Amino acid sequence: MGLWARIRENGVLYIGILVLVYMLAPIAVIAVFSFNDPTGKFNFEWVGFTTDYWKGAFDNEEINQSLLLSIRLAFFTAVGSTFLGTLIALALVRYQFLGRKAANLLIVIPIATPEVVIGAALLSMFLLYGINLGFTTLLIAHIMFSISFAVIVVRSRLIGFDRRLEEASADLGASPITTFFKITLPLLLPGIAGALMLTFALSVDDFVISNFNAGSNVTFPLYIFGANQRGIPVQVNVIATMMFTVAVVAMLVVIFQQRRAERMVERRADDDNKATVSIPI
Amino acid sequence: MSERNKKNPGKLFLLSLAGLAASLAIAACGGGGISEGTDSSEAPTAAAGNASGTLNISNWPLYIDEETISDFEKESGIKVNYTEDVNSNTDFFGKVQPLLANGDSGGRSILTVTDWMSQKMWDLGYLQKLDPNALEPIFDNLIPSLQDPAFDPGRTYSIPWQSGMTGLVVRTDLAPDIKSINDLFDPAYKGKITMLDELRDTVPLVMKADGIDPVNASTQDWLDAIDKIKQAKNDGQIRRFTGNDYVQDLAKGDVVAAVGWSGDAVQAQADNENIEYIQPEQGCMIWSDNMSIPLGAPNSPAAYEFMNYVYEPANQAQIVEYVNYITPVSGVKEILAKQDPALAESELIFPSEEFLADCTNQVSPPGDEAAKREVENAWVAVTKG
Amino acid sequence: MTTLRQRLVPYALLAPGLLWLTLFFVVPMYFMGELSLKTGSLADGFQLTWAFENYTNAISNYSTQFGRAFLYAGVATVLCLLLGYPLAYAIAFKAGRWQNLMLFAVIAPFFTTYLIRTIAWKTILEDNSPVVDVLKFLHIVPQDGRVLATAGAVIAGLTYNFLPFMVLPLYASLERLDLRLLEASRDLYASARQTFLKVTLPLTAPGIIAGVLLTFIPAAGDYVNATFLGGTNQSMIGNVIQAQYLVVNDYPTAAALSFTLLVIILIAVLLYIRFAGTEALMGEEEEVR
Repeated sequence: MGLWARIRENGVLYIGILVLVYMLAPIAVIAVFSFNDPTGKFNFEWVGFTTDYWKGAFDNEEINQSLLLSIRLAFFTAVGSTFLGTLIALALVRYQFLGRKAANLLIVIPIATPEVVIGAALLSMFLLYGINLGFTTLLIAHIMFSISFAVIVVRSRLIGFDRRLEEASADLGASPITTFFKITLPLLLPGIAGALMLTFALSVDDFVISNFNAGSNVTFPLYIFGANQRGIPVQVNVIATMMFTVAVVAMLVVIFQQRRAERMVERRADDDNKATVSIPI
Repeated sequence: MSERNKKNPGKLFLLSLAGLAASLAIAACGGGGISEGTDSSEAPTAAAGNASGTLNISNWPLYIDEETISDFEKESGIKVNYTEDVNSNTDFFGKVQPLLANGDSGGRSILTVTDWMSQKMWDLGYLQKLDPNALEPIFDNLIPSLQDPAFDPGRTYSIPWQSGMTGLVVRTDLAPDIKSINDLFDPAYKGKITMLDELRDTVPLVMKADGIDPVNASTQDWLDAIDKIKQAKNDGQIRRFTGNDYVQDLAKGDVVAAVGWSGDAVQAQADNENIEYIQPEQGCMIWSDNMSIPLGAPNSPAAYEFMNYVYEPANQAQIVEYVNYITPVSGVKEILAKQDPALAESELIFPSEEFLADCTNQVSPPGDEAAKREVENAWVAVTKG
Repeated sequence: MTTLRQRLVPYALLAPGLLWLTLFFVVPMYFMGELSLKTGSLADGFQLTWAFENYTNAISNYSTQFGRAFLYAGVATVLCLLLGYPLAYAIAFKAGRWQNLMLFAVIAPFFTTYLIRTIAWKTILEDNSPVVDVLKFLHIVPQDGRVLATAGAVIAGLTYNFLPFMVLPLYASLERLDLRLLEASRDLYASARQTFLKVTLPLTAPGIIAGVLLTFIPAAGDYVNATFLGGTNQSMIGNVIQAQYLVVNDYPTAAALSFTLLVIILIAVLLYIRFAGTEALMGEEEEVR
């Protein structure tokens, strides 16, 4: 293939990679500055290389508290919203029922609402009821804006689902519940995992809604917002880089596992092929 | 399949109405919350007594040295949770307002906010009265100029933590000629100026620069000064309206002069030694951050104990050495003169009468709620415009 | 034949989640609406006075910020589309074994938190940075100008932060594309460009529209980018709403502004639903029969 043809063929890939680089550029900056050794309060000019802040990554008690809060919050948000969202997705995809369109609408509208409006509206309600702002109100808010995303992710997995596997299970005598837990759920797992991951990420990342509804609780993003006024400690960069790396490593592990599983299936399929007849499903 | 869905708007409408009705039913069970007003006429007096247990304090960041808290804990036996969650008066107010409106302090026994916010919280009935009998050491040591401020005569609900000056913070290497607030409007510095986004910091300074005394200023004076700033903004003179984060721009050199606070200039020297506090020609604004005991404070005896502790000159000296703002306690200068003469001589920490000659105490816009709202809205239109 | 119990199953499944959404989304919206018609202050309390003038005042006072928000969000959305489509296409068709990794790389930045990413851009775009020097060299930025504290910086920040919201729906839509249709188009002698314009693009229209909505809507209400990257003339309506709630404590005005923003956006969304049906918004397409 000539050079021009090669470029045309892969041009999109190159552009895609460039965009990806653009997306990761600030992360690189964050990582680089986590090794900086600033003289004063502010960490924006390169002074010198040091690993001190990596060693003392958890020395700052305030950062630790806010990080723990954020992770705790994100964990419960992910579980809660994925659970509720999966149920909704199952209902929407598998059943025809009265009010289906309204349900769809109710799921979609929160996504269509700017965060500042959601945060402010929740605050209005809490104020009017005289409810104290705290972890509970934060959790409520986070689950609320995450449900719709969970629904979308699980739903797209459900749509591509091969119902015949469930039918086969029923034909072989399994009760609906057994079928659900042994066939449906495991096959749905990638979708659920995706929803968990997405809602976790969105919760950890959230600033606007938390800003309105956290009361005295300080999540990691809220801490950064406050700290920005007086100089963000280098530990913040370290932790941000850490979180990113952990996520990437986790993903790589998942991919690696997937590839291994695929290879094992291939090998078994090869063995099967050497047998007589495969029963067409 | 989508055909059927598209053609049933009626059903959708009815279902939405049902949903709305259900929501209204739930909402009807709602309570009063913010619909009732509040006021300070019946503020309870914070109880004194034997100090023990745990004390939760909310304060601004970088406002205390590293040893005072543990020294206090050892001496008093009280466990202290010191949280630096006051990053701005308005953000903090936004956080605690719903709690305080319910008589809940969120666990705090001391909170520290600036004069105007102390007054606002008091007017809304969120603070407790202080028992002067429990605070005798304080009234002995409080410097005369802070004993009877206009917003809290006799100090019934606020005790100064530290004081400071709002004036000019300048990169003297890049803008050596800036000496007055009006210099900030000089087109030579176009786009390299920042102003504080707090109404009560910036606008009175601009009024003073034009010869108006903020204490006697009318609503129209405030609006005129805001207009002047608006002009400058439209001309591109002002780069940003900042919170506490103006020092960063100065350190980078993106900005050559800012409206800022005296203590920040001292602390900023570490980032860039050319950052200096310049006292404006027409004088500065003086403010204090004040400790108050909020409604529902769980441990006011311990709060009193802490307040008394930091007003001991020896203990205060330790704080002042680190914080670099103006101390409200008399007798500290003499102590520091022995340990750190340079600090004791600093005009920024122990300003002379002369240095403060033209300075005004912090004020709020005058008039009734409507007039205040007018000024605040005019300001929002400029800073968020 | 479905029994009553079977007919109730979907409602049982929906109930918890929808109840949550009703309690914590619909009801607050109602309250916000109610609040927007009140007058008063924190000191005097807020009373319901059916003050519709809150809306007219708010809109006329802050029409600039509304306009700016939609302008910045609009430009950012277009940029996201231009950048996101090639990326989504590459992931869907050209990534091969790296597909999952690339997809993950799209959402991985979320794990570093929104604020830190935006602040990092502040570092990258500061007046003395190499990036700005290059931009000046290319005359994209005037010699005595700056990038930070301008509309350009805010739009750049918005584009960056909402790019994943454009890429993911586009990818979902592209992935479902039946490659045989593209092959058929080629077989019928269409050029690559024609195939793209006449086959790929129309078939991925639902994904494009979903991506556009998912990007434009949060961008229009954003205030973080304007706070960190903007200057004095870049405030968006989100900044005003935040100030009215938390600084001025003028809850009725803030509520009126929020509601107005919501209504404007909802109109756009409902128009889309009318055109394509609610399922399409969630990414599903008509099956080719």
